[in-house]
Amino acid sequence: MKGWGLALATLAFAGMALAADEDKDLDLIPGQPSRPEKSDAPKSGSLFGGEGRLFVENALTSTAVRNDLLVPFPPPLPPRWEERFFGDARIEWPLASNAHVAYSGRLSFVAQEGLGFPNRGNVTNDLREVYASIEPQPRNYFDAGRINVKSGVALGFNPTDFFKTRAVVDPLTTDPSVLREDRLGTLMIRGQHVGEASSLTVAYAPRVTNPSPVAVDPYRGFNPLWGRTNGTERWLVKASAQLGEGVNPELLAYWESGKWQLGANIAESVGQSTVVYLEWSGGRQLGIAEQALAFARTTGTIPSDAPSVFMQGNNERFRSQVAVGASYTTESKITFNLEYHYNGAGFSRSDWDRWFAAGEGRPDSSPIVRGLWYIRDYAAGQQEPMQRNSVFVRADWVDAFVPKLELTAFALVDAGDGSTRWQVEADYAKTDLWSFGVLAAGTTGGRHSNYGSLPSEASVLLKVTRYF
Amino acid sequence: MHFAMSRPIGIVLGVLLAVHGALALAQSAQEIVAASDKIRNPEQPFRTTLTLTEYVSGQERSHSGFVLFSKEDGSGHFRNLLQYVEPPRDAGKRVLLDGRSFWFFDPASQASVRISAQQRLTGQAAIGDVLTVNLAADYSASLTGTESIDDAARQKRNCWHLDLKAASEIAVYNRVEYWVEQGSFRPVKGKFYSDSGRLLKIIYYRNFVERLGAVRPAEAVIIDAVDSSLATISVLGESRFQDVPDAWFQRDYLPRLQVR
Repeated sequence: MKGWGLALATLAFAGMALAADEDKDLDLIPGQPSRPEKSDAPKSGSLFGGEGRLFVENALTSTAVRNDLLVPFPPPLPPRWEERFFGDARIEWPLASNAHVAYSGRLSFVAQEGLGFPNRGNVTNDLREVYASIEPQPRNYFDAGRINVKSGVALGFNPTDFFKTRAVVDPLTTDPSVLREDRLGTLMIRGQHVGEASSLTVAYAPRVTNPSPVAVDPYRGFNPLWGRTNGTERWLVKASAQLGEGVNPELLAYWESGKWQLGANIAESVGQSTVVYLEWSGGRQLGIAEQALAFARTTGTIPSDAPSVFMQGNNERFRSQVAVGASYTTESKITFNLEYHYNGAGFSRSDWDRWFAAGEGRPDSSPIVRGLWYIRDYAAGQQEPMQRNSVFVRADWVDAFVPKLELTAFALVDAGDGSTRWQVEADYAKTDLWSFGVLAAGTTGGRHSNYGSLPSEASVLLKVTRYF
Repeated sequence: MHFAMSRPIGIVLGVLLAVHGALALAQSAQEIVAASDKIRNPEQPFRTTLTLTEYVSGQERSHSGFVLFSKEDGSGHFRNLLQYVEPPRDAGKRVLLDGRSFWFFDPASQASVRISAQQRLTGQAAIGDVLTVNLAADYSASLTGTESIDDAARQKRNCWHLDLKAASEIAVYNRVEYWVEQGSFRPVKGKFYSDSGRLLKIIYYRNFVERLGAVRPAEAVIIDAVDSSLATISVLGESRFQDVPDAWFQRDYLPRLQVR
């Protein structure tokens, strides 16, 4: 009996001690006790009568240029410094309970090596989106205007993102997952039905002008660049369905200039920390060099009967593009992405050998050299890898070392020659309104490699952002 | 009459009685958790504002605001759809948290990206899930005992101390210690542990007010147990019942969500 009493007393004491331990957690509660009378609704600021996001940013870039290229880069070389100050807005204005208009754009003030000052090139306006949207019946939508239509689930390359081509202008980053943030929409009409567990979208983009040449005119000013987005007639039909818990595949059919391409994408969770995804598109296509040549003739960059300076030697045939990968997130808030990219229209190793052989030793004023670099500029504009096989690795660390510091790094490796495009970025949200960032990017590889033969060797960008 | 019982039969009966007793206790523990779940959130679909204030070493560091649409599915889990309202850099971003299906939409890129359960925790929107989780649906509860502990306002509360073990694939945490006030079933405090047994978060529920048809906690203090200098105070503000169609919980609806 004595023993039981002692045990009960011990347990009671232990319970009190545990409860006392629990009460120590109260010391970790910040601030004053709650004030129920305080208004706690989030404050959504009004932007010119609408809602959205507005920020200004100053970005200063310094670039180191290679001067020992096997195939010389035709002038002008990339500027060695650039100062860019811009205002960026994305705003929606409600018209009625079921309708709104949207605007998205960026007004930039630019100074850079070789551009001169003052002139029309110092101010550019990128009209990304302006459209009206109405929901005449619940979850049936109709949109008209310049719209940025995005598809795909991968991070480094999106084969099913058909409207990505030629839409990116003056990027401040080479991170493909960020490039889609500042790209031009396409003038189109779009209808969408969102069902209980499915969705169907049909979009039609008319041809409103002739396609513009590959090079972006630095003196474009306020030109909306319709020639980059609406130089051809295009259709897109896409459907998705919720097949199971979280299984949400998307099927796409895309038509441009009389040719169809099909596509599909799917992403699925595996366990608590991993997502795997697959994206594919396929259709009859020329090789990238022949595509570039055809485009150069269409846009009058070269005479329609001019011979090609370089051919991959592949006729139009069915070609696929694939991005397959996985993301993995750790308990310490680091997300890794690993992807494999395949571009059936891209350069094989032997194509690269012939590309270098065709241009090596020639002066930068040579028409052949210009033609060779035109192919690469064209491919970059398509937002597709120039090479056939590549590996993409990306890491994103949220709250790295200190809260609100985000570190991002990626490497895009040409699997054929091991050359790499890389970037490391640190972004610190000092307050809710101010951010500071530094970004270093570059290319590595031998002189006879894909990325090692690019004129830009490395660059550093410093930026300050103020949100409103 | 002397009823003689053989030793083996006695042991078997004893074990059966013990098992029966344990089951009864387990059931009541589960009922306590279920009753507490009902205090935190209603069964009907609703919309609410959610404000999060982050503190570092007691100093206010940042502020996030959301509109949250929440709906309980047939199995007792909440499906959540959130839109950031503030800070300005995040305004318009949306997160779909639905069982094992998580999507993040950024209006800047017009892209919807599928994220894992772990990646969801890297963003503040995951607190929406923490606040609406029906613990009884995802965890198996047992009663540890009764304790008198201080609530967030340092008022003594006589509580059931419950130990919750993850019982479903979608349980965010491996284990939860949970204190529920006896009689009122109000949640007082929770401690949330990782698979490795590491204490990740401590949550205090406070400021019980009339909200969505009952007296419910309007605030939760979420303490980061890994870095105890970090804490977040979440406040559920303007709330109302609202029909939330099932069609909203798919990736193609994310770009269409309107919070006006």
